[in-house]
Amino acid sequence: MPETVLSLKNASVFQRENLILSDVNVTVEKGEFVYLIGKTGTGKSSFMKTLYGDLPLTKGEGNIVGYDLPTLKENDIPFLRRKLGVVFQDFKLLNDRTVKNNLLFVLNATGWKDKAAMDTRIDAVLDKVAMKTKSFKYPYQLSGGEQQRVAIARALLNDPELILADEPTGNLDPQTSVEVMEVLQEINKNGNTILMATHDYALLLKYPSKTLKCDENQIFEVVQKTV
Amino acid sequence: MEVIYNNFERLIVSTSQIQKSLYFCAGNQLQSMASSFEKYQKRRLISSYFSVVISISLVLFLLGLLGLLVLNTKKVADHFKEKIALTVYLKDTAKEVEITQLKQSLALAEYTKTAEYISKEQAAEEHSATIGENFMEFLGYNPLQNSIDVYLLADYVSPEKLEEITTELISKNFVDEVVYDKPLIALLNDNVKKISLWVLIISSLFTFIAVLLINSSIRLSVYAKRFTIKTMQMVGATKRFIRRPFIWKSVKLGMLGAVLAMIGMALVLYYLNKTFPQLQLLQDKVMIGALFAFIFLMGLFITWLSTYFATQRFLNLRTDELYY
Repeated sequence: MPETVLSLKNASVFQRENLILSDVNVTVEKGEFVYLIGKTGTGKSSFMKTLYGDLPLTKGEGNIVGYDLPTLKENDIPFLRRKLGVVFQDFKLLNDRTVKNNLLFVLNATGWKDKAAMDTRIDAVLDKVAMKTKSFKYPYQLSGGEQQRVAIARALLNDPELILADEPTGNLDPQTSVEVMEVLQEINKNGNTILMATHDYALLLKYPSKTLKCDENQIFEVVQKTV
Repeated sequence: MEVIYNNFERLIVSTSQIQKSLYFCAGNQLQSMASSFEKYQKRRLISSYFSVVISISLVLFLLGLLGLLVLNTKKVADHFKEKIALTVYLKDTAKEVEITQLKQSLALAEYTKTAEYISKEQAAEEHSATIGENFMEFLGYNPLQNSIDVYLLADYVSPEKLEEITTELISKNFVDEVVYDKPLIALLNDNVKKISLWVLIISSLFTFIAVLLINSSIRLSVYAKRFTIKTMQMVGATKRFIRRPFIWKSVKLGMLGAVLAMIGMALVLYYLNKTFPQLQLLQDKVMIGALFAFIFLMGLFITWLSTYFATQRFLNLRTDELYY
């Protein structure tokens, strides 16, 4: 029986008092690669934010990697995020330190102590995204695609049960998007679960997978027509 | 053919090796150039900490000077109070024994700092010297009286205490008159009270300004990093973990500022002591040490507290609230 990492039942997503999505029923099983598509402003990002605890879930049931979202406490949020890997459209790397120190910060913040183990882990994740040779660079010295790959490496550090990628290719050119997508596919093949919000339909066609669509305050599964 | 080819290959290999090592050298140089450029850029940004340190140290310096003033107002006031003399005029009929006895009892009294007997001849001499002519020549006799000048301890220089002493002395039948500058003493006591009050008000105002100024410069430097703080939260760092380096950094700035302020205070103290040694500014070593410790702790405490609240503010905001 497959393990469920994310399940929402009759959940509503609010931005302050504004209802963004209602009656959301979503389940994601371990090892899946799920797309979340929809026009801008339909609530993809709000949905993602609710999942990683930046917006509270006030209505409905929700469980993500073992945390109950409606009863999630402020103090538990950091620990929820350690079990998730979040990749943002604008990368959100720490610009005041090198790639290696960016990753080192995450490891330090999440309770790693052994220096040697930390170095090995950083090398391993950077190797996965083919950025091992640029660990001494500052984020602003890297191209967008490279920064996004570092961000993916950062998301991988703590071996997350679920990777949330909020339009990871939104700022990238088509060719770099494909490169980043290859990295994500590769990670998915190794057994990581990925939920990726995107509006890049070309990627959907190239790498078909289970797809959820946000539209008119609803999320529903769509079946891709195979051409 | 084979041999030539092999040699040719070796040649290519060796030239490519040379090239590689050349690239390596150039790369090294580039890297070191890049890092010196980065250092320069970083230094330009560090100068913004400079103003934080300067404002902390200036404010603490002023606070310390006020502290010194508070510690020394009493000393300065006492210095003036002990310059005031109470003059006891003796009747000409007073016996030698009585005078000696009074001199002794005044010298031993708890309120006396020093007591000095001035005979009528001595007084006449002094008086003549001050007015520039010998008044006894046309008067034919010495109208002055024998007197004792009593310099009192500061604690007894108040209108009430002086009144008490006067009544006690005047009750002796050989004492003609007891004279002191009544309005001066009233004025002095009044002014000391007023000055102490104002020093207290000004120092509390300065403490308030110190906290406000340091707080706002620290808030600004944390505000500049608000998105960094949010990103740190996104990757699963706890609030405490994020706060720690911020607090450590500002506490270091606070300590630096406090040390600068203390150096300034020490210099001021040194010169004041050299110029006015009679104030004995350095006499009370414990109080001065306590003042320095207070300034240091103040620098530490204010920076710690304001960084705590500044970071906490941004830690508690949601991402989209940062843009307001």
